[in-house]
Amino acid sequence: MRTRIAMWGVGAVLVVAAATGPVAAQSKAPIRIGEINSYSGLATVYTFPYREGLLMATKEINDTGGVLGRPIEFIFRDDKLKPDEAVKAARELVGQEKVDFLAGCISSGVGLAISAYAKEAKVLYVATHCQTSRLTWDDGHKYVAHTTNNVNQYVRALATKAATMPYKKWAHISPDYEYGHNVWDEFSAYLKQLKPDMEVVQQNWPKLGETDHSSYVTALLQSGADAFLSSVWGAQEIAFVKQARPFGLFEKVHYFSASVGNPDELDPLGKEAPVGAITPGFAWYDDGMQKRHPKLAEWVKKYETRAKKEPTLGASWGYASAYIIAEAIKRAKSADTDKVITAFSEGFELEFPWGKVIMRGCDQQAIPPQWVGVVRMNAKGRPVLADVEEVHGKDVIKSCDEVAKLRAAAAEKKK
Amino acid sequence: MSGLSVGMFLFLVSVGMSLIFGVTRIVNLAHGSFYMVGAYLMVTLVEVLPDRPWAFWLALLVASLGVALLGAVIEVGLLRLIYHRDPLMQLILTFGLILVISTLVLLAWGPDNKSVSRPDALAGSVPIFGQPFPSYYLLVLGLAPVVALGLWLIFYRTRWGMLIRAATVDREMLGALGVNVAALYTQVFAFGSWLAGLGGALAAPTIAVALGMDGDVLTTAFVVVVVGGLGSFAGSFISALLVGLLQSFGILIFPAISIVLLFAIMAVVLVVRPWGLLGRPEQ
Repeated sequence: MRTRIAMWGVGAVLVVAAATGPVAAQSKAPIRIGEINSYSGLATVYTFPYREGLLMATKEINDTGGVLGRPIEFIFRDDKLKPDEAVKAARELVGQEKVDFLAGCISSGVGLAISAYAKEAKVLYVATHCQTSRLTWDDGHKYVAHTTNNVNQYVRALATKAATMPYKKWAHISPDYEYGHNVWDEFSAYLKQLKPDMEVVQQNWPKLGETDHSSYVTALLQSGADAFLSSVWGAQEIAFVKQARPFGLFEKVHYFSASVGNPDELDPLGKEAPVGAITPGFAWYDDGMQKRHPKLAEWVKKYETRAKKEPTLGASWGYASAYIIAEAIKRAKSADTDKVITAFSEGFELEFPWGKVIMRGCDQQAIPPQWVGVVRMNAKGRPVLADVEEVHGKDVIKSCDEVAKLRAAAAEKKK
Repeated sequence: MSGLSVGMFLFLVSVGMSLIFGVTRIVNLAHGSFYMVGAYLMVTLVEVLPDRPWAFWLALLVASLGVALLGAVIEVGLLRLIYHRDPLMQLILTFGLILVISTLVLLAWGPDNKSVSRPDALAGSVPIFGQPFPSYYLLVLGLAPVVALGLWLIFYRTRWGMLIRAATVDREMLGALGVNVAALYTQVFAFGSWLAGLGGALAAPTIAVALGMDGDVLTTAFVVVVVGGLGSFAGSFISALLVGLLQSFGILIFPAISIVLLFAIMAVVLVVRPWGLLGRPEQ
């Protein structure tokens, strides 16, 4: 572990130094934000682009005078995907580094753990990359805000699309942990609401990280379902697709997926990608997307010049997170914790190159646009998301009243 | 059927681990990392080599040999220095190797998930008992017994194999008889690493090649080796098949406890036969 910590420590110092370089000229002390995320191991495929987007926005903010005349600065810590490591880092950042706020998370477990610490320590925690709805809903409190999509919104966007299609019998394959259950519960409940004759014929719960899916593939083939939802993700979903393909599963049962449309899965799959699958994704390359959002192409170019890589959804989330934090401080006219919380609880809206993000006051939850498309091969034989349809999160998300009910129910449970 | 093919991947990895332990008495925790490096090398080789039918097989050979070379370098450069030390030191060293190798893999290949396409001839499936069965798994089902048979021939029909078997029984005596034990250790370690690399390279087209695959395979391979008997090759074979089948059928019959089942079997074996199914008790 030591070597990795040391390497990332050095790396983080270098990046922070690079990001804050031009700021040195400004005389005022920076606003410091402790950023805890998984910067080693298997989550780096998401967190590296995320950090790139975060630092890109930080540089833009600081180059144009910072926030309230002060530069902002992120101090990075690696949580190794473990809640206890994350809380240790949070204590160190608050106790020794004297940061003003905490931010970060990719794992939902980590996000919930830091949130619990923040509540107890009365520090504002701005959760970023993790997606569980529990963060701001069931387990929400005033010391936590969430700057990116939650499961509820993109799963409902996907269910909205599914409801327009003639499928009645549904099956699913979801990893057997918090996220997998969250996705399937939201999807099946919302689809039932939109399409009451929908019927669940089969359920599959592989363990998280399972590498052999052949028995589930056989089960799905024999389920008699018209369509199925998958919420396995990342390396596990790639393995699932590769194993299901020779069985002809995707020709027989229509494949809906919570994540296969992201480039971290589509690109490695290449010619084995599941053409026809319906899935959400950040399709910045799509003509329709670029027409709807004229500033998107320029942002993509800027990101690519900086990162030497194409952007991902995570990169856009990192970018948005830095601006949302800065905006809240600007509105509070102070970096004081209580004032910034008040700014979050009053809510605000920000325009991004990919559309409007609403920070809702009642739950301090971000509501961004949602995109759902179909996996196709482009002219160069690369799998992409096509026929992308946009729904804004505000049209599908649970209302403030529903959130209040969830919080009350969770409080009741704890008693 | 697919349970059998999973068992075959496991066999390749665990027999290498078992072999290394049998001869050098080192529990090589970095064995999963060798498997991961084999898969990553496979990714690069398939990308670099021209898109021809033979390229896949050449890549398989070169990737696994690359891992063998890595194993040899690690044995000569690091492990040789600590054979006489406390076994705990050896564990710490090989554990450290896991971290070093995973960081190096991240630096060399980057954080993105990778994948290897199956060779076109094996991309489809063939009907068996009226059910489609992926032809690539058939290859694995065919190849692993060939490797097993090859191992048996090497161990029981060659002089080198005889020396290895002798080394598992009494190393000092072997050295006293004038055999270059140091060289034998390097060869065995490289050979064991080759098997791990081959397992990784062969598994690459059926999974995503990603960071973290080292840990997944290590845990299962460890169980296989312990259940089969540390240092026993036939034991590894049987126990790999058992674990592979268990993982496939276990999730169908007892989905909730399939993970526990694996370790429960290990626990039972350890209580009843602490030296494993086909292992020999320590003297």
